[in-house]
Amino acid sequence: MRLDILSRSGREVVKGGVELQDDATVDDLKKEIYKSVRKFYPARQRLTLPLESGQVRPTVLESGKKLKEYIEGNHAKVLFKDLGPQVGYSTLFFFEYIGPLLLYPIFYFYPAIYTYFGLPLRKEVHQAQTWALYAWSFHYSKRILETFFVHRFSHATSPISNVYRNCAYYWSFGAFIAYFVNHPLYTPVGEKQVMFGFALSVVAQMANFYTHIILKNLRAPDGKGGYQIPKGFLFNYITCANYTTEIYQWIGFNIATQTVAGYSFLAIAGLIMTMWALGKHKRLRRTFDGKEGRAKYPRRWVIFPPFL
Amino acid sequence: MAGTAGTGGGGGSTLRWLYLSAYNVVLFFGWLQILCLAIEALRKDGPASVYAAVEKPLQIWQTAACFEIFNSIVGIVRSPVSATLPQISSRLYVTWGILYSFPETREHFLVTSLILSWGVTEVIRYLFFALKEAFGVTPPMLLWIRYSTFFILYPTGIFSEAGLIYVALPFMKVSDLYCLRMPNVMNYAFDFYCAAILILGLYVPGGPYMYTYMIGQRKKALGKQKTQ
Repeated sequence: MRLDILSRSGREVVKGGVELQDDATVDDLKKEIYKSVRKFYPARQRLTLPLESGQVRPTVLESGKKLKEYIEGNHAKVLFKDLGPQVGYSTLFFFEYIGPLLLYPIFYFYPAIYTYFGLPLRKEVHQAQTWALYAWSFHYSKRILETFFVHRFSHATSPISNVYRNCAYYWSFGAFIAYFVNHPLYTPVGEKQVMFGFALSVVAQMANFYTHIILKNLRAPDGKGGYQIPKGFLFNYITCANYTTEIYQWIGFNIATQTVAGYSFLAIAGLIMTMWALGKHKRLRRTFDGKEGRAKYPRRWVIFPPFL
Repeated sequence: MAGTAGTGGGGGSTLRWLYLSAYNVVLFFGWLQILCLAIEALRKDGPASVYAAVEKPLQIWQTAACFEIFNSIVGIVRSPVSATLPQISSRLYVTWGILYSFPETREHFLVTSLILSWGVTEVIRYLFFALKEAFGVTPPMLLWIRYSTFFILYPTGIFSEAGLIYVALPFMKVSDLYCLRMPNVMNYAFDFYCAAILILGLYVPGGPYMYTYMIGQRKKALGKQKTQ
């Protein structure tokens, strides 16, 4: 079949259009466009059918499907949108986490930087500050290692602007918290509270690691495969147990270190994860509605038992 | 009268019409008062006397702009929060955090350019929206002025704002106003001087962002008129 590839302003993206076999897939079409315009690798392309009258949202040509499912006849128009430069999720995550991992120790090991803010040099290092360094470094090392050795990502990519936005968020909050925990005039909480906080943090991180293993096994190694109901361990009670354990790790860290900076990070991160969790819970309930042979999604908490 | 609101383009309720008309009319007269007081003081006693002449009305009418943030969050007006929030919060910061808090800045000549830039912009803007919301009319001349004066008044306004923050810096440094020092049990410190430097830094991307936003608004508003 013959396809005209047009931009939204009606300009031809591929001169003379694209000629394809009748049983070609959407991916074949994307590769063909990539062949003639080397800038537009497949992940950058968004292909849709032209709007029909009365239609508000265009039909997106999804990867993995045959063109025949969308197009009748031998000649049709396809609209092309450039999504801009894309990066894989492991790249995005790596840059997000490397900032906090490297920035935090600077404040611990180089107390002289506080003198630039007109503050005195640190006289003593509190036990809580040293443990906080270990907990922080362990946490972000864990996240980076999980990114490369545990998580299985779909083939989805993320626009490069997300890298800048997310790095700004993670890096500045990392420096903000590190500044106050390692401050020369830092006031530690009682010893029992410190120990309880870090103990909670360690337990929560181990549980969090286990939830990531469970989530990994839901996805086939090639990144394909359908949507599944998470099962086992805390997932039997909570839809997003991975977020719950992540939040508990930060609660533990904050109980032990007690800074406004840390608690504000906890609040914002908790809010973001709650929104993601609500979305995922809704999606799972919709996908597994128990009709026409589909499984029924069991009754579960979304993220914070016994409240939500 | 509710019929006029329909032609106003919003298609909203009578209550919305009443609220937006009243808000824009009141703010128009508020800013007209500020502008007149400023010009009168400028002619009589020179730039150093401008702030004293406009202080109270400036504080009242600039603070009233908080309604605008509320309006865009709730969705009563179409302008996005990402545009109203930085604009109004920077205005409030200069009004209360600089001019009110550090009297040493008040006689600087940048106060004159600040009040004139804000004043002229707001008088035109509120008149435009008052006519649009209350009577559903947008005189072409006023539309053009509304979307053209920013070419000059934005740079002068932003420059005056940033300039006054800069002027206030040495006074912040020696003052403990709004500062919280460690040690304290929540391990938190706040330094108004450092915050001001951070805010000055935000003007670097913020200024061009707002300027290009307004150019986009201008294209939308004036382009539409041509096709009609």
